[in-house]
Amino acid sequence: MSSKDRSPAYNLTPLSPAVFHILLSLGEGERHGYALKREISLRTGGRLKLGPGVLYGSINKMLKLGLIEESDARPDPHLDDERRRYYRITVYGRKVAQAEAARMRDLVKLAAARFGAPAHA
Amino acid sequence: MPDQPASLRLYRWLLKLYPASFREDYAEVLERQFRDELQEPAGTAALCVLWIGLIADMAISVPAQFSTEVAQDARHTLRLWVRRPWHTAFAVLALAIGIGASTGVFSVVNALLLRSLPFQEPGRLAYLSNFFAPHDSAAQFHQWRRQSAYLADTALFEPLDVNLGGAGEWRRAHIAQVSSNFFTLLGTQPVLGTGFTGGDDVDGTGWGPGGRNAVAVIGYGLWQTLFGGDPKSLGSTVRLDGIPLTVVGIAPPGFDYPGNAVVWKPAAYSRGNNGWEVVARLKPGITWPQARQAFAAEADRLWPDRTPLQKVQSPSRITELRDQLAGPTKKASLVLLASVAFVLLIACANVVNLLLARIADRAPELSIRSALGASGARLSQQLLTESVLLGLAAAVAGVLVAFWTTSVVAKLQPSPIASQTYSILDGRVLGFAIATSVLSGLLFGVLPSWYAGRGRTLSARGSSGNRGSGMVREALVAAQVVLTVMLLASSISVGRAFIHLMRMDRGFVPNGLVTVNVSLQGTSHQGVGPSMAYFQEALDRVRRLPGVRSASATEFLPLYSTAFLGGVFLADGKPARATVIPVFSDYFGTMGGRIVAGREFTAAEIQANAPVAVVNERFAAEFGSAAGALGHHVFRQPRTIIGVVKGMDYRNATNDPIGANAGEVFIPSSNPGGFFSAFVVRVDGRPKDRVAMIRDAIQLVDPEVPLFGAETMEKRLDDALARPQFYRTAVFCFASFALLLAVIGIYGVVSYSVAQRTHEMGVRMALGSTPAGLRVGLVRQGLLTIGVAAVLGVAGAALSGRFLENLVDGARPADAATYVATAAAIALIAITGMWVATRPLARLEIVEILRTE
Repeated sequence: MSSKDRSPAYNLTPLSPAVFHILLSLGEGERHGYALKREISLRTGGRLKLGPGVLYGSINKMLKLGLIEESDARPDPHLDDERRRYYRITVYGRKVAQAEAARMRDLVKLAAARFGAPAHA
Repeated sequence: MPDQPASLRLYRWLLKLYPASFREDYAEVLERQFRDELQEPAGTAALCVLWIGLIADMAISVPAQFSTEVAQDARHTLRLWVRRPWHTAFAVLALAIGIGASTGVFSVVNALLLRSLPFQEPGRLAYLSNFFAPHDSAAQFHQWRRQSAYLADTALFEPLDVNLGGAGEWRRAHIAQVSSNFFTLLGTQPVLGTGFTGGDDVDGTGWGPGGRNAVAVIGYGLWQTLFGGDPKSLGSTVRLDGIPLTVVGIAPPGFDYPGNAVVWKPAAYSRGNNGWEVVARLKPGITWPQARQAFAAEADRLWPDRTPLQKVQSPSRITELRDQLAGPTKKASLVLLASVAFVLLIACANVVNLLLARIADRAPELSIRSALGASGARLSQQLLTESVLLGLAAAVAGVLVAFWTTSVVAKLQPSPIASQTYSILDGRVLGFAIATSVLSGLLFGVLPSWYAGRGRTLSARGSSGNRGSGMVREALVAAQVVLTVMLLASSISVGRAFIHLMRMDRGFVPNGLVTVNVSLQGTSHQGVGPSMAYFQEALDRVRRLPGVRSASATEFLPLYSTAFLGGVFLADGKPARATVIPVFSDYFGTMGGRIVAGREFTAAEIQANAPVAVVNERFAAEFGSAAGALGHHVFRQPRTIIGVVKGMDYRNATNDPIGANAGEVFIPSSNPGGFFSAFVVRVDGRPKDRVAMIRDAIQLVDPEVPLFGAETMEKRLDDALARPQFYRTAVFCFASFALLLAVIGIYGVVSYSVAQRTHEMGVRMALGSTPAGLRVGLVRQGLLTIGVAAVLGVAGAALSGRFLENLVDGARPADAATYVATAAAIALIAITGMWVATRPLARLEIVEILRTE
């Protein structure tokens, strides 16, 4: 998919929690699927546990949308299994993640104006 | 967690649930991840948690992936369909007709044979045919029914047609007089009121005002029409043939047994009434074989003096009530179901061929996709999706066909009682439709997708990899030809039987005749004198009408097997059997009957009820010859035979074995107006245009007398023949459709094989063969398959022919000439199709072909 075909980033929002969390993790660097799963689980305090089917289903979709791409680089071939696949975020993926964050920020602002700032973060 | 080979194996197996594309892309990493998970902290509990999580994950992700891929495949399929609209329309139509017609016919089978009757424990209800339960008096009947060792209870009923209503608003209605235990036996409680109580049925020839039995249970529908569903209408009055009956109960909705009855009244028993029918319930613990044995013994005990011939001609039988209700329709429906199943199979075989050919056409597309990394499984999935979508489209179209089929059948062959109404919207019928669609979808989908998966058709054109596929296609065509020959031969023999029915000499000329029924029961014209006066006045008025050539009346019209007043009486002192039909003067002239000897009744003889009779040839044969019968006497109070006529067809237009070749005795009518009485009028011009005029003229005699059945005799004949005609048309349509499918199939196979073998043909031409020679060779090759199939088809037709008798009376297995003709016709059509299909060979440019190599 060329970047011309892509719809504007905000068209993809709101993102599903799984997709947004994957983008957040990949924003830090390349990851393989299992690492993504563990990181997301840790970050959400175990509230979002992605099963393999849902995880790779999301990855499959994100690959097709051009949010992420497969990376050829292997961090350490000795440590790694060939069957692991690494993913990295694309420029478009970053834009989409930003658009999602902006959408959330606006919502939070609106909620703060209506109900006051939340007592707990 | 320790190594878990069992878990891993299970997970690998479960991964197969994902659709092909996703599985190919991710099976490895999924398995890798699963291994990672297994490495985490050990323990059976942890493993359980892991599996629970995995199963939940699959429950979400498998359908999600499927919907994505199937949507993709579906879009692809739709694009393909748009590109080949005729191809697609043909496939959908072929399947829709197959699926729709079988579903429609199945709805009839379902209603008649599978759906249970709306009675309590319907499987224990029996119908006793050709069995006259003792019925001379109420006491005799009730005493007999209580002593049975094998029947828990038995009830009598007699269906009647009456004038229902009050002055000026008559209508004809089906009613039944029933023994007082009728409702209890069926286990049907009135929704309102008590129904009948023991002793409501009495002795006597009818029912009179104020009597114990002047009560009635009315149908739910009638209750709504007459009383607007008012619960206070219990105790109101309904009039049957002018006699008031008190309503004591309302039957539940949908209850109309027997035969669309709307009113039930208690029986009046009398010696000699042989119109009773018998329904019974088996005693608990008694099996059907036991009941049949006990029943046969009882029938022999009740009539010890029956001759063996009588036992064969009208055997006493105990059958399950549902089978009796389904009656002759049962076998006809099953035969029809078998033929539609054939058509469905042929349609499937054809669609398989079509899809196989299409896959061959799409070889380039499929090989490109294959080269781009699509696996065989992925391509199979694509093709299977195409087939399933085709099946679904066909199922939707098929439901429309099914609705239409069902409504046509319901019109021609109404269900015996309301609760057996044919309906598509029934769980079992819808299940059948879905099962047929899915099964046929698999049937025509699996083979092509399997081939695609194997990559057999993906090889380049002209390679020898298609040999297997070619054989499958040829076998499919052969199967089609077998089924088509069977259907065609059947349709020819059914068609012949029907033509025979149409051309049968009925002893009268139906064209140009108008008929009007009248019933004087319950009117002021009842009785010997008044009824004759009424009929004479009506006939005088009709005869004066413009365009009327002649008019007469009879107490029984031909075509309805209702004139069985006959029985045994004396001819010259010897017992003889015949149907007795009271008629007016000029009856034979008006009907177009043929007088063989003597003359028909004069007006004076009718007026005086002179002791004369006219007999048919069959009856006259008792006296040697037609002329010889004149002057002889019939009946105990002798009537002189003054004329002999060609017999009239009093059967219900089909081959009723009892009515066939029956003796007929016509006598002057003396008390007309019973419920089969009718005026017959021969008119000039179109009889249809005269019907209203004639009916109005008769109505003018007395507006309060109910007239009905005002229609042309041709219409009555058409109605009587509607059923056989429907079967004939149905079988004929199926056969033509099958033939069309087979021709298309043959054409497809040959043109496909020509395309496949272009290269080979080119080489052979280069080696000296002529195009015509090659074409003849190909046709000869194809003909071998067709020939073998035709022989098998003829054998099948000979076997199936026996079942056809159930469809149209008089249908016999076709003769050898028909078989040869059918097989030859198919061979001829097949040769033509093959010759046309090999046309491209004539235009082959050898150089062109060899250059492409």
